[in-house]
Amino acid sequence: MPSIQAPPIEAGAVIETRGLTKVYPGDVTALDGLSVDVAPGVTGLVGANGAGKSTLIKILLGLLPPTKGQAKVLGHDCGTDGETIRTLLGYMPEHDCLPPDVTATEFVTHLGRMSGLPPTVAKERAAESLRHVGLHEERYRQIGTYSTGMKQRVKLAQALVGDPKLLLLDEPTNGLDPAGRTAMLELIARIGLEFGISIVVASHLLGEIERICDNLVAIEAGRLLRADTITSFTQMSQVLAVEVEEGLAQLQAELAVHGLTATVQARTLLVPLGGDDTYDVVRDCVANLALPLCRLEQRRHQVEELFRDEEEVPHA
Amino acid sequence: MLDPAPPPQAAGVIHDLGYRGYDGPRLGRPQIVRALTWHSFRSSFGIGRGAKAKIIPVLALVAMCLPALVNAFAVARGNARLFGYDVYSPTLRVVVVTIFIAAQAPELVSRDLRSRVLPLYFCRPLRRADYPLAKYVALTAACLILIELPLLIMYVGTIASASGGRAVWNETKAFIPGLGVGVMWAVLMAAIGLVLASRTGRRAYATGIVAIVCFLTWTLSLLLIQAEGGLTATSTGARIAGLFSPYTILDGVRIWLGGTSQGEVANPGHFGPLYGILAVILLAASLGGLAARYRKVSQS
Repeated sequence: MPSIQAPPIEAGAVIETRGLTKVYPGDVTALDGLSVDVAPGVTGLVGANGAGKSTLIKILLGLLPPTKGQAKVLGHDCGTDGETIRTLLGYMPEHDCLPPDVTATEFVTHLGRMSGLPPTVAKERAAESLRHVGLHEERYRQIGTYSTGMKQRVKLAQALVGDPKLLLLDEPTNGLDPAGRTAMLELIARIGLEFGISIVVASHLLGEIERICDNLVAIEAGRLLRADTITSFTQMSQVLAVEVEEGLAQLQAELAVHGLTATVQARTLLVPLGGDDTYDVVRDCVANLALPLCRLEQRRHQVEELFRDEEEVPHA
Repeated sequence: MLDPAPPPQAAGVIHDLGYRGYDGPRLGRPQIVRALTWHSFRSSFGIGRGAKAKIIPVLALVAMCLPALVNAFAVARGNARLFGYDVYSPTLRVVVVTIFIAAQAPELVSRDLRSRVLPLYFCRPLRRADYPLAKYVALTAACLILIELPLLIMYVGTIASASGGRAVWNETKAFIPGLGVGVMWAVLMAAIGLVLASRTGRRAYATGIVAIVCFLTWTLSLLLIQAEGGLTATSTGARIAGLFSPYTILDGVRIWLGGTSQGEVANPGHFGPLYGILAVILLAASLGGLAARYRKVSQS
């Protein structure tokens, strides 16, 4: 029985790309000279729809050949070593990919076999993966009877079944309601933390995945915007939205006195969130002026918004 | 129960063992392809699927075996064998094989297209060509069973009533070319069925396309043969009239290779090689089309 041994993962990057370019027929450039290193841990891959996230994932899986450039996953070259890479990866596609007329157990077992697991191991691991994603008795039901949230869990379970070293999740919270999103994100965070599997989560909702990521890679129009740890990103992305019924200009001036440059957006003041003291300063300013405060909330940005802010406020 | 106080673990407590990795052996690509082939072969008879999925395969097998059972009965009563092994019951065989392929080729390929499950295969060690290869081998094997099982029943039924080694030997000599014809059928018809079914993810359409292509071309050739003077005619028109459908091409190849039973086409005479070449071209085109279909499929 020939066996493919997983080589030890280097302490360095799990993914490295150099000048990665993909031009689709018809001159559509999906990736434009992308060079980025992804460290182990949970990494968010953020970008607006069409930024090139899915294209990058497909190149990493060896499903698409890049037009130019190089990509390495876990130290293997995507162009020449796709097969080895695919034994080490788990992939959860963005779109629906489940047949309705089989049970989750059968489906995940079959895909476990397709990952190279021997028959009994595939059965055991399918049951375990489904348990880990929180499907219990339902796993004997046909997938067609599942809710969207359960289907997403099955998609995650099939990615886990082969015991991957790296998981690529493409928009895992797609189509879920807020509670479902939170549950899915917690699950992903747990897999990254407790299972010790590196994860790349592609999403267009920065505010959502920043909760669970160690690192973020932001791409736009196929180019790297920024790759950094989550803390430096959130500092940039977090603002405090302050709404008062009157005296907006007064408050802005007062905040400026305390060293906070607030910008006015419609009837809201946006204050860059430096840390917990920012809340105190805003509270004190509002109290000093005796203004009727009606909203004080931390804003989460969509990526596009974040990048617009970055251009407008270069020092942020 | 002897033990009145079972240990607490047995009382339905689920212990969360946490995540466990897998460091055991992994199968290589060839074994994965074999697993997919076996899985597909089982599904082509509806095994591992619901009861509904078994209806057509079972009916097809029963219908196909009926003449062989009747033959066994007739031979036991002292009659001669009812059909040649190389043609079996020609019309029945065409109809049943067409229905089987029209129903089961979409089961193997259209389902996966419809539910967009292919990226999940291709993100695993499988290569592009492995998937259609596994499906093709599986459907060919399924067709072989459908076509050869009745021949085997007929053979066993006949030799059970045969007297003497000489009779058994003669029977065997007739039986083996019959198996060969069955292989030709399975190899070609599975390829045609899959390449047609893989055009669409809608099963009803896929079934319709396969059935229409097979039946229409077959009817066309039969009509042309009739128009040219029937099965015993020797005109050029009659000799080439069988070139317009896969089934009549297969029958022409059979006669060209020395088959003697009365089949569905007129003797192709010196056009025999043309039937052979066309069969090979048809097979190559079908397999090429099938491979091309999956080269790009999951990039969308």
